Amino acid sequence: MSSGFFKVAGGTVYDPVHGINGERRDIWIRDGKIVDAPPAPDVRPDKTIDASGLVVMPGGVDMHCHIAGPKVNSARKMRPEDKRKAEKVVRTAGTRSGTMGSVPSTFATGYKYAGMGYTTAFDAAIPPLAARHVHEEFEDTPCIDKGFFVLMGNNHFVMQSIQRKEPERLRSFIAWLLGAAKGYTPKIVNPGGVEVWKQLPSGNVHGLDENVEHFGVTARQIIEQVARAVEELRLPHSVHLHCNNLGMPGNWRTTLETMKTFGDSRGHLSHIQFHSYGGGDADETTFNSKAKELVEYVDAHPNLTVDVGQVLFGETTTMTADGPLGYYLSNAFKSKWFSSDTEMESGCGIAPIEYKNTSLVHSLQWAIGLEWYLLAKDPWRVVMSTDHPNGGSFLAYPQIIQLLMDRTYRHDMLKQVHPAVLERSTLGDLTREYSLYEICIITRSGPARILGLPNKGHLGPGADADITIYTPNDDKTKMFEMPRAVIKSGVLIVDQGEIREPLTGKLLYVAPEYDRGIESDVADWFEKYYSIRFRNYQVPLEYLHGAEEIPTT
Amino acid sequence: MLTLRYKAETPIPVEVEGLTPSAVRTMPLAEIERFEIFHGNRKRPLAEFFDVSGDPSDARLEFEGSLSGVHWIGAQMSEGEVHIRGDAGRHVGSEMTGGTIHVHGNASDWVGGEMHGGLIHVHGHAGHLVGSAYRGSRLGMTGGTILVDGSVGNEVGLTLRRGLVAIGGNCGDFVGANMIAGTVLVFGESGNRPAAGMRRGTVGLLGGHPPALLVTFRKTCVCKPPVLRLALAHLQSLNFLVPDDCWDADYGVYNGDRVTVGRGEILVRES
Repeated sequence: MSSGFFKVAGGTVYDPVHGINGERRDIWIRDGKIVDAPPAPDVRPDKTIDASGLVVMPGGVDMHCHIAGPKVNSARKMRPEDKRKAEKVVRTAGTRSGTMGSVPSTFATGYKYAGMGYTTAFDAAIPPLAARHVHEEFEDTPCIDKGFFVLMGNNHFVMQSIQRKEPERLRSFIAWLLGAAKGYTPKIVNPGGVEVWKQLPSGNVHGLDENVEHFGVTARQIIEQVARAVEELRLPHSVHLHCNNLGMPGNWRTTLETMKTFGDSRGHLSHIQFHSYGGGDADETTFNSKAKELVEYVDAHPNLTVDVGQVLFGETTTMTADGPLGYYLSNAFKSKWFSSDTEMESGCGIAPIEYKNTSLVHSLQWAIGLEWYLLAKDPWRVVMSTDHPNGGSFLAYPQIIQLLMDRTYRHDMLKQVHPAVLERSTLGDLTREYSLYEICIITRSGPARILGLPNKGHLGPGADADITIYTPNDDKTKMFEMPRAVIKSGVLIVDQGEIREPLTGKLLYVAPEYDRGIESDVADWFEKYYSIRFRNYQVPLEYLHGAEEIPTT
Repeated sequence: MLTLRYKAETPIPVEVEGLTPSAVRTMPLAEIERFEIFHGNRKRPLAEFFDVSGDPSDARLEFEGSLSGVHWIGAQMSEGEVHIRGDAGRHVGSEMTGGTIHVHGNASDWVGGEMHGGLIHVHGHAGHLVGSAYRGSRLGMTGGTILVDGSVGNEVGLTLRRGLVAIGGNCGDFVGANMIAGTVLVFGESGNRPAAGMRRGTVGLLGGHPPALLVTFRKTCVCKPPVLRLALAHLQSLNFLVPDDCWDADYGVYNGDRVTVGRGEILVRES
């Protein structure tokens, strides 16, 4: 008679949420969840994985990547040469075909994340107009649970509400919009800057207090008020912010000012590496690292969290809702360029680039990402990311892990990058090596906590049974590239590198309460300005295949 | 010499990439017969489609039959000789780095796509995109020589980076579009918008009845370019037929394309 239990036996378990640091333990699973061991000692599990000598962690959580939506699809379409030269994902009896390169296709994305032991991923920037399509793409991105952040920082209704000094209206709109898109939290990208870009030739915003024409608001106001609204709505994750002036020498001052703007509100600053530059006046020869100064501020302010946005050398495709940034990059790299205006809401820019270790700027970018990890005192608030694919592919996470855990490997790579890195950053002096426990924090437990996902990133009873089992190896890249097994929702989905059972995965969303009165206001606004009808805009719950609401706190 | 006589009749594409003189040079015949090629999306043994005979050790392959449905012949080869006694499909000599291919018939699209070295001579006509870049690539052909005795389609030498392409007959539109460097010579007539987006390099329209050039090309002089005589002599040494009236003709030199760096030239035969 089936007991319904699945057991992962005797693994070396890492579960930082519960303070478990490499202890030999059993994990019991039932109905897709981790459960207490059955009280009766004679209950036999239906299935056991013998994990003796193997490392067991919760499944990986990528809290900032670009894997779905209109800009990802435009990028997929404009990189045929990147895909031609890449690994071929061949159809098998149980899995679909796909393409790789820097922007993998949908099925390939799911298989590759799972193959690396990741079981949850959040797309960082979706214009709500495209939400319906994103849900379709997510349906075709198997093996992982997914969610996405909803672009709001250049949304006309948001800016108008701020201009009118109507915080309740703003808050209701944000809640309505999240529910309409079935998204997870507001995302702000270059607040005000993308709107100015859409209005003026080579337009952008260069500071927190510059005025956005017509709307008469500033970046500072957008950040403050959306952050406050998120706190009032008690969303599980804070507002998620891509600061103004990404990539510019001297931008660390904007970043520091932005951090102060949050006050006591929670705030997450994404791909912080790109916002940590000293130097001045757009002069790349003065480029240097200000990671130390910014890390100190974040360490001292527990309301703030970051993901790093690590750069790795090689070719990739940049894609960002920061329209003017896409233009800047395509000019800097003389590469092809795509730019789009998403009516009323946002924009995007796409440009292929190549990070070279002979370049001073790229080498510093690489070093600054590593500085963030190595200088930060609290690993719970500094999350691993490459801002896939902007800094590099998510497939490079194992290499980052080795760079953090293996000082010799890191210093060998340091010898091969531009020598100015030694003077302009502190990386050469940093001897810290991450432990497996800390790696577990920055790749699963930390991001799950920051996202406010109560059932992810840990192995206690009640958690989703998302578990990755690794074979220990001194070569940490190899260890993390090829888990021995991956369990998702209690199902063995990857076994020795092969996808066994590509289940669909859930969509994680929030549905905060709001004053329904806002809807007639919004409907009027659609009628006046949008090319789509109000009643066609919202994605009803019945449209989704397998969704889970994450409650407000 | 290894002889491969095509015996199949199938509307589904047969793709033989990997089947190069180097690859089979030391293989026994039985192993060559088992060589996996694609029939649509299925891998099949070579012998299902070709009767294989002879000796591959001299790095010479002879394909016989009507092979217009067989693609990627000679793709990525680095040495040796390939003769196709009949028509050939697409991507003949794609990305090759050395060796020689002769098509004693017509070829389809993408002859010498992104080629790096060696020689391809099509004795009949060819399709579109001769010596051209594949979609999305920053660079196209980077070396080697392509000769087509007959006529070709559009986009000859698209994004050409280096190398020589000579077309004995006519060509379609956009010859030398986005060219970075290198030389394309067309001895027949040309279609519209030659050398659009050209940065450097030379497109020669030697047929005598050129199309209207883009307004972003500026005529600079009429002359008898010495380098052209050298190129024609080189083509003749490769057994390419050079019409008598090209040698001493006057050529208008048009610099462009001035929507880009514009340091290329179109030579247009005037007499």
